[in-house]
Amino acid sequence: MYTDEELTGLLQNPKTQRKAFEALVCQYGEQLYWVIRRMVLTHEDANDVLQNTYLKAWNGLSTFHGDAKLSTWLSRIAINESVDFLRRQKTHGALSCDEDLSVANSLMADNYFDGDETQALLQQAVASLPDVQRTVFQLRYFEDMKYSEMSQVLKTSEGSLKASYHIAVKKISEFFKSRD
Amino acid sequence: MNEETYLKERVGKENPFRVPDGYFDTLASQVMARIDAEAQPQKKAKVISMHRVFYYAAAAVCALFVCATVYLSFNKESEAVEQQNMAVAEQPADNYFDEAADYMMLDNQAIYACLASDY
Repeated sequence: MYTDEELTGLLQNPKTQRKAFEALVCQYGEQLYWVIRRMVLTHEDANDVLQNTYLKAWNGLSTFHGDAKLSTWLSRIAINESVDFLRRQKTHGALSCDEDLSVANSLMADNYFDGDETQALLQQAVASLPDVQRTVFQLRYFEDMKYSEMSQVLKTSEGSLKASYHIAVKKISEFFKSRD
Repeated sequence: MNEETYLKERVGKENPFRVPDGYFDTLASQVMARIDAEAQPQKKAKVISMHRVFYYAAAAVCALFVCATVYLSFNKESEAVEQQNMAVAEQPADNYFDEAADYMMLDNQAIYACLASDY
């Protein structure tokens, strides 16, 4: 395991760049995968978005100067790629969140989803949120990410993030209360 | 009850998603292979474009050569044609005079005498 400082130095040297990037994939790959998977829901899509994320990171190496943590920089790219993916899905009419329970039904049929009906419904409720609330809810509720770090990743004020989270929690609670 | 607490008690925070066995073990090699694949088409494109540059340059030189040849040969032809035209233009005038002389049944002596009397 390399420290951020060590990796950043190795990434900026053309001779060691490639090996350092491989180490970057090993070190942060799993963390990024889960951020993406919670957004896009299926393993296939998460793998595609993760590959695109690392490709963008590789092509944008010259823009990273070590002023943020590597995990922050990578998370930002991953979340942007995930949101873009979801927007393209909506454009093409796939997995429309306006249809009742379509997300929950798809997940229950997915071999790589081990949750019960309640967990599938939770994903349905989250998928129905606007992009920002959806992202903030997942990072805070599932990843326990601090608002200070989230603010750096999403380049949004902590106050806005807290407001988005509380609105998201309220909507999802009402979703379940209406079903109880 | 706080809504966040309600949610955590109602639905929990477990991770319901599963990953294929060994996925993370092969992730790095997959990513590097993808990076290499994306980089290659650019190299090929550069080679093709250089060939095309030479091809287009050679084609342009040939076209220029052909045009110059055609232009020069056209100029020579037109000069020759002009000379022929001039020669042809002269002949009818001479022929016409002789025909006129024959028609009037005048011989050369008569023509000279006629011309001399006018002066």
